[in-house]
Amino acid sequence: MNELAPAVLVVDDEIQIRRFLRAGFELEGYSVSEAENGNEAIRATTLRPADLVILDLALPDIDGANVLQRLRAWSTVPVIVLSVRSSEAEKVRLLELGADDYVVKPFGMAELLARAKAALRRQARGSSGESAITVDRLRIDLAARAVFLDDERLTLTPKEYRLLQILAQHAGNVVTHQQLLKDVWGQPHVDDTHYLRIFVRKLRKKIESDPNRPRILLTELGVGYRLALPGEVINRMTN
Amino acid sequence: MRAGASPGGWRGIVWSLGLVALVTVALMILRRLFELPPVAITFLIPVLVSAIRWGTLAAIVSATAGAATSAYFFYRPFHSFHVDDPARMLGLLLYVTVAVVAGYLAARMRGEAALARKQEIEIRDLYAFSRRLASAKAASDIFEAIHQHLSSLVGRKVALFGPAKPGRGAGEHFGDAEMPGRVREAVMAATAGEVDPATATVVDDGTGNLWLIRAVSPKSLDFGIVAIDLGQRSKETEEDIRAQVDAVLADATTTLEHLGLANAISEARMRTETERFREALIGSVSHELRTPLASILGATTVLCNAQAVQREHRLLALANVVREEAERLNYDIQNLLDATRISSKGLQPKFEWAEPADIVNTALERRRNRLAGREIDVELLDELPLVYVDAVLIEQALGQILDNAAKYSSPTTSIRLAGRRDNGEVVLSVSDDGAGLTPDERARLGQRFFRGDRQINNTPGSGLGLWIANAFLAANGGCFEATSIGEGRGTTVSIRLPIPDGGGASASLDHE
Repeated sequence: MNELAPAVLVVDDEIQIRRFLRAGFELEGYSVSEAENGNEAIRATTLRPADLVILDLALPDIDGANVLQRLRAWSTVPVIVLSVRSSEAEKVRLLELGADDYVVKPFGMAELLARAKAALRRQARGSSGESAITVDRLRIDLAARAVFLDDERLTLTPKEYRLLQILAQHAGNVVTHQQLLKDVWGQPHVDDTHYLRIFVRKLRKKIESDPNRPRILLTELGVGYRLALPGEVINRMTN
Repeated sequence: MRAGASPGGWRGIVWSLGLVALVTVALMILRRLFELPPVAITFLIPVLVSAIRWGTLAAIVSATAGAATSAYFFYRPFHSFHVDDPARMLGLLLYVTVAVVAGYLAARMRGEAALARKQEIEIRDLYAFSRRLASAKAASDIFEAIHQHLSSLVGRKVALFGPAKPGRGAGEHFGDAEMPGRVREAVMAATAGEVDPATATVVDDGTGNLWLIRAVSPKSLDFGIVAIDLGQRSKETEEDIRAQVDAVLADATTTLEHLGLANAISEARMRTETERFREALIGSVSHELRTPLASILGATTVLCNAQAVQREHRLLALANVVREEAERLNYDIQNLLDATRISSKGLQPKFEWAEPADIVNTALERRRNRLAGREIDVELLDELPLVYVDAVLIEQALGQILDNAAKYSSPTTSIRLAGRRDNGEVVLSVSDDGAGLTPDERARLGQRFFRGDRQINNTPGSGLGLWIANAFLAANGGCFEATSIGEGRGTTVSIRLPIPDGGGASASLDHE
């Protein structure tokens, strides 16, 4: 692995997509390798471990979800999935299979780069033991289990803290409703999105300057929540 | 002739013997009181009663029993079947002959009466049937009539399947008869055209019950399939029923043909197929277009952010033109895809509790580029109740309304987005200071492909946006309404979403 030039493997059967992804990543200082089908992707990751995998779901040989499952059997490499619209259920399924995030085709490079950086940072945090995350005016100290807004310590209930903690651990990447519900309320409540909505409301009141226009705790409609990355500017496309 | 031995059966014979015994007892009592003449003739009473009620066999049995009883009890020597007096012997023989003939005639009369009754019912049925055929306005009326008529004719289960709909297997099902698996399979096979419509098949359902399966019309499958439970009947009855069914269906088919329904049905089928084909075409073309578009859009975003391009503002402007136009194209294709999704009934909302503010924010966020430069005032009531919807569909509906507001108002004016609570509903409304609506436009808003006459030449559009919004909202139990104080004076379009029980409640869930 190279700290300066993270290796990204782009898996997509469309050569034009691979081309612009290569250009986009290389301009940002990544080193890029390509695979045009699932088998090639699995071979490539075994031969030369990548720091990040960009995985298209519609591959000519094996289903992208299948590639992801096989990859997850032995590797924790961050995977960002390229999905199509109008399939929130599929996105959730892929995230549950171990994808770190997704972008919806067609997407802008800036959005993909933001997701990629977040996923790489999380991976790095895991190995370096970095324990504080700062988003906007908010600082979450995971080691001290303390949350500060403009250096003022916030009083959170244990469940509120747990919710924020999980989001902070995935800062910049989406966390599904199901995962949040399971981790905070337990398996039996995995479908009780009602709980989640009410808690996010309470949490936003404490951490956002305008809870109706959140800047920190963002919603991914139909999928889950994500904590914004510091200085995140996501240039989402109209899709 | 149906006046056989069967109607009364064993019970009839027992009853007629009972009658004979009764007459015997009565005669014995009478003989104590009076001197009686030859009595055999009295036994004609049980014979005639038996013949009328229970048929020929019962009549013969009672005639024989009557003769035997007379000989035994009433003719000398008593208590013996022997009869001394030749004149009495002759009388007895005469009695037997009269009894048998009278019995036969009475039984036959009874049969004829039953037959006449049956025929009367059949004719009444047939008359009702033909009246219904004549007054039928749609194919389903005729099928309903055929079903009822056949059911009453056969007296057992009858299942009728209307014309097959393309790609959907068997057509409408008339009658609620439950069919065993094998019969169902045979019907499916017949519907799928695997069977010659001119031949009927008989299927055993596995328990010995026979079902007759045939096309309503021997000429084509366009009139549907009928399955009739024959029960465990003999070959003969089966043939009989078959002939009756043939006759009924021949009448019905003639009417069907007469009404030109065959044409109408195949025309409708062709229309559906054309429609389906068109939608499949739009769908696949749109998909085909999206793939290169994803590359174009992705590539331009790389270009726009590349330092080399950003340094040269003329190139940057060009790159932005490509990006914006590609985004517009993508948006139009998305609308087409949404439209085909609605038409092909592919909308399956995934209901979840949703935060109205999240829907509003996502709609604005996703349209950031398209709405760039517009002033948008958002005013959401604090603590709007949660709604139970497919948030993604509502977001897309709201997006369409926002796009419309932006499209039909001057870029220098502002757009207002408000969220409030109104009785049992959450209302999200988008107001602009644009072209407004005439009463006619207002009435037709949301119709597929509708575009106001004032706009057709001025503003590009497909007339799909609000139609899509309307379908998405309807799928979620919501709706939209548009108000305008008049032409050129702005429009307000409001989305109304029901607040379900528990939407406003904030439960205490923080106990550890």
